[in-house]
Amino acid sequence: MTESAIAKPRRRTRLDAQFDRIRAREEAGLAKSRGGSRTLNKFLNNRLAVIGLIIFSVILLASLFAPLLTPYDPNKIGLRDMLQSPSWEHWFGTDRTGRDLFSRVLYGGRVSILVGLGSAIFAAIIGVLIGVYTGYVGGWLDTLAMRVSEIFMSFPQIILVLMLVSILGQSLVNLILIFTLTGWGGIYRMCRARMLSLREEEYVLALRSFGLSRPLIAYKHMLPNALGPIMVNITLSTAAFILQEAGLSFLGLGVPLSIPTWGNILNVAQDIRVLQTNWWIWLPVGTVISLFVLSVNFIGDGLRDATDPTQQG
Amino acid sequence: MLTYIIRRVLILIPMAFVICFLVYCGLELTPGDAVSHMINPDALGSMDPAQIEALRQSLGLGQPFYVRFWSWFSNLIQGNFGFSTNGGVPIANIIATRLPATLELASVALIFSTVIGCLLGILSALSRGSKADGALTVVGMLGVSIPEFFFGLVAILVFALNLGWFPVGGRSMPSYVTLWDRLPHLVLPSMVLSIMLTAGVMRYARSSMLDALSRDFIKTARSKGLPEWRVNLLHGFRVALTPVVVLIGFRLPVLIGGSVIIEQVFQWPGIGNEFISAVRSQDYPVVMTIALLSVMAVLVASLIVDVLTALIDPRVRLGE
Repeated sequence: MTESAIAKPRRRTRLDAQFDRIRAREEAGLAKSRGGSRTLNKFLNNRLAVIGLIIFSVILLASLFAPLLTPYDPNKIGLRDMLQSPSWEHWFGTDRTGRDLFSRVLYGGRVSILVGLGSAIFAAIIGVLIGVYTGYVGGWLDTLAMRVSEIFMSFPQIILVLMLVSILGQSLVNLILIFTLTGWGGIYRMCRARMLSLREEEYVLALRSFGLSRPLIAYKHMLPNALGPIMVNITLSTAAFILQEAGLSFLGLGVPLSIPTWGNILNVAQDIRVLQTNWWIWLPVGTVISLFVLSVNFIGDGLRDATDPTQQG
Repeated sequence: MLTYIIRRVLILIPMAFVICFLVYCGLELTPGDAVSHMINPDALGSMDPAQIEALRQSLGLGQPFYVRFWSWFSNLIQGNFGFSTNGGVPIANIIATRLPATLELASVALIFSTVIGCLLGILSALSRGSKADGALTVVGMLGVSIPEFFFGLVAILVFALNLGWFPVGGRSMPSYVTLWDRLPHLVLPSMVLSIMLTAGVMRYARSSMLDALSRDFIKTARSKGLPEWRVNLLHGFRVALTPVVVLIGFRLPVLIGGSVIIEQVFQWPGIGNEFISAVRSQDYPVVMTIALLSVMAVLVASLIVDVLTALIDPRVRLGE
C-alpha cells in the first residue's frame, strides 16, 4: 500500500494548493487573524456571497436614490416619445405610452423590493413569534399551531395567493398581507424544530429552575440561538417573494398596474408583438429581476455557510 | 406496513375536511350567490324582493350555514363541483376537458427534471470542489433565480419567433391527432417548466449524495475493493435516492404553481390557464374548486411519498 503511494504520487488538488499558500503566508509572518467577527470573515471569504452583496447594494441604492439618477417621472406619459429604443436620453428606451423605462425600473425596484423584503420580514415575525413559543412550550398549543401551518402549507403557494387575491382584491397592502399569510409556515417550522432541540439543553433547564417565565426563556434566551437560520430564511424568502410578485404582476394580478413594479413593467410582454419587436421593454427589467434575486440567493447561501457549521461544502 | 398506511390516511381525512370547510367559507365570503349568477342583472333589478326570496328558499340558500355547507360537501364527494358563474357550465366538465393538458405538461416536466437533476447532482457531488461543481452550483442558482415566465419569454423569442423551430403557444391544431403531431407544441413549455424543478432537484441530489458518500458503509464498500463506480452508484446513490424521492413528491406544489404561470405564457389550455381566467373574471366557484383539487392532489402526493419512504427506508416505519 505504501509502496504504491510512493510510486504514484497523489494528484494535487485545489486543497493542496490552498494549504501551500497558507503555509507560505505563515512563514512570511503574514498569517495573523484579521480580527473581527468570525462569521463576518467567513462570509466575506465567500466569493459568490460578496458578489451577491455588491449587486444587491448597487440595485438597492439605485432604487432608493432614483430621483438623483433619473430626471424622468416614471408615470409621466409622453405621447411624442412612444416606443423609443434605448438612447442617451432614455437609457432603457420608452414604453408604449412614452414613459421612460429606466426610471420605471428604478422606481419599480422600490416597490418590488418593499413587497419582497416587507413580506419576508412580516412572515418571519409571525413565524418566529408562534414557532419559538409553541416549540418551547409544546402540548396542545404546539399541536394546534402545527396543524394550522400544515393546512396553509398544503396549498400550492401561488394557488393560495391567487385565491386570496380574488377574495381580497388587488392592492399593494393586500399583496404584502397575502404573502405574509401564505409565507409564515416555513419559518415557523424551522423555528419550532430548532426550539425542540434547544429545549433539551442544560442552560434551559437551569433557567427554568431559576423560575423564569416561559416567554422570557423562549424569547430572550432561546431565540438568539436560532438567529442565524432565521436570517438565512428571511433572505431566501425575500428572493422567493420578489419572484412571486413579478409573476403575479406579469399576469396582471399582483400590484395594481398604476404603480410601477418590476412585474408590472413586464406585463406588456404578454403581447407577442411587444415581445418580438420591442425587446428593450422587457429584457432589461427581466435581467434586473434575475440579477437581484440571484444576488439575494447568493447572500442567503453565504449567510447559511457562515452561520451554520454543519452545512459545509 | 398496513397499519402505517391506515394511520397516515386517518390523519389525512380530518385535514381534508377542514380544508374543504375553509374553502367553503371562502366561497361564502365572496360577493354574490347563486341567484345573482343565475339571473341577469337587469331582470334582477325589476324582480320584486319576495320573488327573489322565494327563489332563494327554493334553492336552499335561506337555510343555516351548516346545512348549506353539508349539501355542498356531499355534492362535492359525489363529484358535483357546482357550476361556473360564466355561462353556467358544470365545473366537473371544465376540469375534465382541461386536466389532460396539464397532466401532459406536468408529467413531461417532472420526468425530465428528475432525470437531468439527479444526473447533474450526482456529477456535482462526485466532483466536489472542482470547477465543474462550482459551475453547476452557479447554474443551479441561476435556475432558481430567474423568473420562469422570463425564461418562457426568452424561449418564445429565440426558438419560436426568431428560429421558428417551435410554435409560439397553444397545445394543438385542429388537424393534429396523435401525440407526435402535438410534440412540437409541448417542447418549449415543458422545458421551461423543467428548469426551476431541475435546479431544485440538482441541489438536493448533490447534498443528499454527499451525505451518503460520507457514511461508513461507503468506506466498507471501498475497502472491499469494489470499483469506484459501483461504490458510487450502487451503494451511494441508492441511499441518496430516498430523500430525492421525497423531494420529488414535495415538488408537486412547485410544479402546480409553475404550470399556472407557464400555461399562461404559452397559452397552454390547462387547469392553470383556466384558474387564471377564473381569478380574472371573478368566477369564484371555479377558483375555489381548482384550489381545492390542487390541495387534494398535494395531500395525496404527500401520502404516497410517506408510504414510499417507509417502503424504501425501514427506519421510518420503526421510528413511528
